[in-house]
Amino acid sequence: MIDVLFDAVVSICQPETLLVLLLATMASLIIGATPGLTVNMAVALAVPLTMHMPLEPSLVLLLALYCSGIFGGSVSAILINAPGTPASAATVLDGYPLAQQGKAGKALKMALAASLAGGLFSVLVLVLISRTVADFALLFGPAERAALLLFALTLVGLLSGHSILKGLIAGSLGLLLSTVGLDPMLAVPRFTFGLLELEDGLSLIPVLVGLFAISEVLLQAETRMRGAIGLDLRQTHDKMLNRLSWGEISASARTIVRSSLIGTFIGILPGIGATVASFVGYGEAKRSSRQPQLFGKGSLEGVAASEAANNAVTGATLIPLLALSIPGDSVTAILYGALLIQGVTPGPLLFQTGLGLVYEIYVALIAANLFMAGVGLAFLPLFRHVTRAPARVLFPIVFVLSVVGAWSVRNNAFDLYVMMGFGALGYVLRRVEVPLAPLLIAFILGVPFEQALRQALVSSDGSPAVFLSRPLSAALIVVTVASLAWMAWRNRKESTA
Amino acid sequence: MLARRDFLIGVIGMASVRADAFPSKPIRVYVGFSAGGGADIIARAFGDVAQRFLGQPMVVINRPGASGTIAAREVALSEPDGYTLLIAGGSETACAGHFRKLPYHPIRAFTPIMRLARLGLLINVRSDAPWADVKEFVAAARKEPGKYIYASAGYGSLAHATMLLFGEAAGIVMKHLPFSGGAGGLVALRGGHVDVTVAAESESKALSEALQIRSLAVASAERSPLRPDVPTLHEAGFDVDLENQKGLVGPAGIPRNRLQFLHDALEKAFHHPDFVRRCRRLGIERAYLGPEAFGRSLSRVYSQIGHVVRRG
Repeated sequence: MIDVLFDAVVSICQPETLLVLLLATMASLIIGATPGLTVNMAVALAVPLTMHMPLEPSLVLLLALYCSGIFGGSVSAILINAPGTPASAATVLDGYPLAQQGKAGKALKMALAASLAGGLFSVLVLVLISRTVADFALLFGPAERAALLLFALTLVGLLSGHSILKGLIAGSLGLLLSTVGLDPMLAVPRFTFGLLELEDGLSLIPVLVGLFAISEVLLQAETRMRGAIGLDLRQTHDKMLNRLSWGEISASARTIVRSSLIGTFIGILPGIGATVASFVGYGEAKRSSRQPQLFGKGSLEGVAASEAANNAVTGATLIPLLALSIPGDSVTAILYGALLIQGVTPGPLLFQTGLGLVYEIYVALIAANLFMAGVGLAFLPLFRHVTRAPARVLFPIVFVLSVVGAWSVRNNAFDLYVMMGFGALGYVLRRVEVPLAPLLIAFILGVPFEQALRQALVSSDGSPAVFLSRPLSAALIVVTVASLAWMAWRNRKESTA
Repeated sequence: MLARRDFLIGVIGMASVRADAFPSKPIRVYVGFSAGGGADIIARAFGDVAQRFLGQPMVVINRPGASGTIAAREVALSEPDGYTLLIAGGSETACAGHFRKLPYHPIRAFTPIMRLARLGLLINVRSDAPWADVKEFVAAARKEPGKYIYASAGYGSLAHATMLLFGEAAGIVMKHLPFSGGAGGLVALRGGHVDVTVAAESESKALSEALQIRSLAVASAERSPLRPDVPTLHEAGFDVDLENQKGLVGPAGIPRNRLQFLHDALEKAFHHPDFVRRCRRLGIERAYLGPEAFGRSLSRVYSQIGHVVRRG
């Protein structure tokens, strides 16, 4: 066992492999930080490269791209209110307010610390108990998934900010928009207007980039046209404001642990993903925080909650891949293909026939997380330079990058119209102070929830009793009801106080 | 003066000869699925080798969405000059047209060039399922119509079509849970939430090697060389012959000489050791068919599925 581990460390720590790791981490941080360019894309583009590479460098290349991209997403989320990847959408909620207070550096450091903790935590789970937890994931049938996703939908209430009504408007709008496309059970076209481009629904990246990045560009343009100075983040370079103390980290320690657990748990379940994980982590942090009133106005804890959760997904999604041979999302599906190219079939047998390789994957993952922290720290001053750029230069660049990102998801001009449409929608909603987070989370959860719900009802011949007769789903429904009751109670208390 | 005119005529003459030389610019291959997916990997593994014989780069363009029909439409409506090709033979030509209206005819809109590979569709159950073979499963399902549940990669997918054909041939009625892609169904099968899942060879390989699932039958006419242990539905007496194919087609009306050139160059690449080796690594069954035979195969699969969808 020890010598297998030692061999794995030796084979990863070859100079050329480490060089690949370093370059991949740097590339991944930049791709992640660019709104619209996603981890999936980076990994997919790297696959043809690995066809001509030996095993170890290809492993570290793919895993480094996969791990570091999500942290990269938080950089633009914090600095310019435009999440670089969907998974960092929840980071915007507190990261950007922190940047506006001149604490971008502090927020970035917290994001990095939480990302590292979440990432390493999930790798530990992968290394120590992947077989056990993979079996747990199998308990989640349609009824359990529906109950879990219903619980996640109650986040709309938690993410609503001060007006629950506006939150519900945003949430309903998100659900409505998620119905566009072929319905997930019988493939009946809904709101597609005969366009093939709409059959898979509105694609997430253009929607996300439009809602956050384009609306920010429009708002900045409006501020300038009114003659106001607009965004001035130059104070970001105040050293005192941007120190992250141990006290601040340890104050968020509980949040980081909770989010790591949530992210790992959600990562194991196929097809839910890092975006939902970060929102659930954020929502739960707000619910149990001593200072919930700070959330949405620049809470360090909020940044930590979202970033620990989304990075915890990275290690966890490899659990079903390695233990069950099942890729749980599109990135792991690409990784699966890339491993096949290398002549490796991920799956339970690998633990018997290729233990050395399994350990190499573990070591590569840990190394990728450590490199992410190192490179991230080294890049921090560079990232903060972004905020020094005048708005009239910065935001046109954001606009161009958004167009590139939205285009490159499917190489389809249609997605640019979607992006612009959602840019306008995001602008209007922000002007009337309707929060965007409930819209986004409802939009993401809509289709999987509908699919799970209807699958469960098909299995039970239409009887809704299935949600209560299965213990796990019943428990989740009780938690959902309790969570709604708690929110209602707190709302009442706040309005009477 | 005269000399200069002759020279010019000569140059123009040469230019027109060169314009006739096909191919004189890169050939674009559209893939209707994301980079890194099965169709994409085949396209890239092949394109890399094929460009040595084409004398021009082969550029893979991913235009994913709507079960591959966005890319198919793009190619179907493009100029039939041999420069725009499509990886076809899956849902975009075989099934999608039966479940909804498409802006192209899934067969008549294309010129088949060559089949590269086929992917067997396997009918899987849990390893501890009580049925030893597909006949026993059918007997059980006949006894209790509507009791058993199968998972597919989506409504109108090839996996769904497989079960429709199988259900009709065997005279059984089952419940259908469509998932988004093949992985969801395999998880549901392992977890005991469905009884049967149709999955591609590559998807189910590792799980069956680890004895967690068992493949009862393959839907192709012959056994797959990659899984020779799995009998065909035919052998069990059910008349089903369906497989996921991957080959190159262009828009309808590619001139004969260009079609011939493309086919000959691509055939050389098909037999090249580099492509053979890559396919072996990837677990892809190379399966050559020439233009006519590939065309016949595409339309046979298409009409066969249409038959059962119309009746069901």
